[in-house]
Amino acid sequence: MGNSSAISIEQLSMEFGDPGQGVKALDTVSLEIQSNEFFTLLGPSGCGKTTLLRLIAGFEQPSAGTIRLYGEAMQDLPPFRRPVNTVFQSYALFPHMTVAQNIAFGLEMRGLSKEEISETVTRMLALVKLPDVGARRADQLSGGQQQRIALARALANRPKVLLLDESLSALDQKLRKDMQIELKRLQSETGITFIFVTHDQEEALTMSDRIAVMSKGRILQVGTPTEIYEAPANRTVADFIGETNFLTAEAGDDGVKLSDGQVLSTLTEHRGPVTLAIRPERVSLAADGQLLGKVENVVYVGTDTVYHLDVAGQGGFRVRQQNRDGAVGGYRVGDQVRVQVPTAAIKVLVE
Amino acid sequence: MSTPRLLAERRQLGRRLLLSTPAMLTLLVFMLLPLGIMFVVSILQSGEYGGVKWGEYSLEAYRNFFYERDLDDVLVFNTDYLEIFQRSFWLSILTTAGCLLIGFPTALYLALQSERKRNLLLFLVTVPFWTNLLVRAYAWMLLLRNGGLVDEGLQGLGITQHGLGLLYTDNAVIIGLLYTYLPFMVLPIYTSLEKMDWRLVEAAFDLGANRFHALKRIIVPLAMPGIVAGSILVFIPSLGNYIIPELLGGGKTLMIGNLIQLQFGSSHNWPLGAALSFALLSFVLLAMLVYSVRFKPGSAGGHP
Repeated sequence: MGNSSAISIEQLSMEFGDPGQGVKALDTVSLEIQSNEFFTLLGPSGCGKTTLLRLIAGFEQPSAGTIRLYGEAMQDLPPFRRPVNTVFQSYALFPHMTVAQNIAFGLEMRGLSKEEISETVTRMLALVKLPDVGARRADQLSGGQQQRIALARALANRPKVLLLDESLSALDQKLRKDMQIELKRLQSETGITFIFVTHDQEEALTMSDRIAVMSKGRILQVGTPTEIYEAPANRTVADFIGETNFLTAEAGDDGVKLSDGQVLSTLTEHRGPVTLAIRPERVSLAADGQLLGKVENVVYVGTDTVYHLDVAGQGGFRVRQQNRDGAVGGYRVGDQVRVQVPTAAIKVLVE
Repeated sequence: MSTPRLLAERRQLGRRLLLSTPAMLTLLVFMLLPLGIMFVVSILQSGEYGGVKWGEYSLEAYRNFFYERDLDDVLVFNTDYLEIFQRSFWLSILTTAGCLLIGFPTALYLALQSERKRNLLLFLVTVPFWTNLLVRAYAWMLLLRNGGLVDEGLQGLGITQHGLGLLYTDNAVIIGLLYTYLPFMVLPIYTSLEKMDWRLVEAAFDLGANRFHALKRIIVPLAMPGIVAGSILVFIPSLGNYIIPELLGGGKTLMIGNLIQLQFGSSHNWPLGAALSFALLSFVLLAMLVYSVRFKPGSAGGHP
């Protein structure tokens, strides 16, 4: 990862409809994306991540704020003057052209010579591992192949930044896993900054160098996958990334007290009402566990068994128990159980 | 193959035939039958005062198309009719080109509006169909004549000094045809643009195409089915149009339609009229054939 800033966004706002009373798709967002970084914008649909991507590409004009690319202000440039290319969610391959013509399009627009173009097209087809489809029409390819051609077409222009808009969401599970690895490979081979938009948290965690979690037009947290997962900034982030149990409690001098009087020790200095965020896989059922609960439901998911517990009158507390040989298990609905909660597994959120 | 299956297939075939009956009947009654009558009329002898002499066959009408009989009853090659055909084609080509030039940007503008505004504008495009074409043609006569609105307006603005003498010229005919058939160009192009995936245009911009290149390389090729349909819908009726050249051309600028009308009217030569209609039909078919060989469907259009 380099340390120069590829994209620098300051106080960017985007409002649809009448100023002042329209819908705020982006609300004073600021963001730095480093050069050669695989950066992901993650959030539920309607959170503003696609709007942010379209603003960077130039398809929309911001209501306020600046976008800089390697220090150069871009918000007033039309899309065709920006050294940025997009891989569209729908691929947007030109149906009236062959695959090779699709890839050549951007190169022709830049006025490259015929030899350079055909040489680049061949190289790009090899890069995405589809060397033989150049003469075919775009709509004769499968979804996964179209995806690769869309990538090749965008990369052929050698953009400074590549934008990927939910680019894998139309593929099936197996193909998506392959493409995730493929994208990482392409990113490291080309050294281009990738900005990837997705609502799939697993995809985001797998591929990204850094992630920005977005909700309702704002950025909630920016960090590495580990930071986002292990130290979510607030309840929304914790809830969106992975599975999380939430317990409301009162922090006092001798630990946090749940509503039924159980006390857990935590690392917090805070005093007053708090929310405890606890990952289901970080806790386990054990005879000497410090937290008492009652089994509400048992769900077998192959590798694990998930116990849904009622803890201090708050239902749906999940404990993910790996199905190893000799693992503690065999509990039934209605059983009283004890949960081992390491102090480090408790994240105290102050709202 | 087992007998029950054969029976089932036969039954299905019967059902299909039954289903296609209305279409077949329509084609027979409204297309094949009139064409047949016309063909028979074209190979009959002309009656003295119009009509035909039934039972007396002759190829005179087709001969008349290329030759005329001089005073000594000798056949002489005559290009009069061919010239009228040529002029008709030329005026129709200019009309089609003009319609395309005005119609494409109009359709593009329509397709880019919000849905509510689009429906209103589309509705406005069809408004001229509410009044009779004859009335509208007379209105154009008032507009185009010397001292009419166009003439006065241009002189008032100081663009022209004298009367234009626009009415009763080829230009007046082209203006009239353009006006008449413009909606037939706008609507099919609009339809193909409306279906278009505008993300493709975004993709073109993204890849570095400016507006002109996006138009030339993406929008026009994808709108090609509409452009072709519109051109055919304008060109063919223009070719056979009768009212516009009659009124705005003042009968001086004959087009095929007028010529045919003349044969069934004051010239009392029905077979020649029918023969001219067939000549027109074959020219159009020939033009379509050339077109379909030149532009194979799928190579230019946006459909697979």
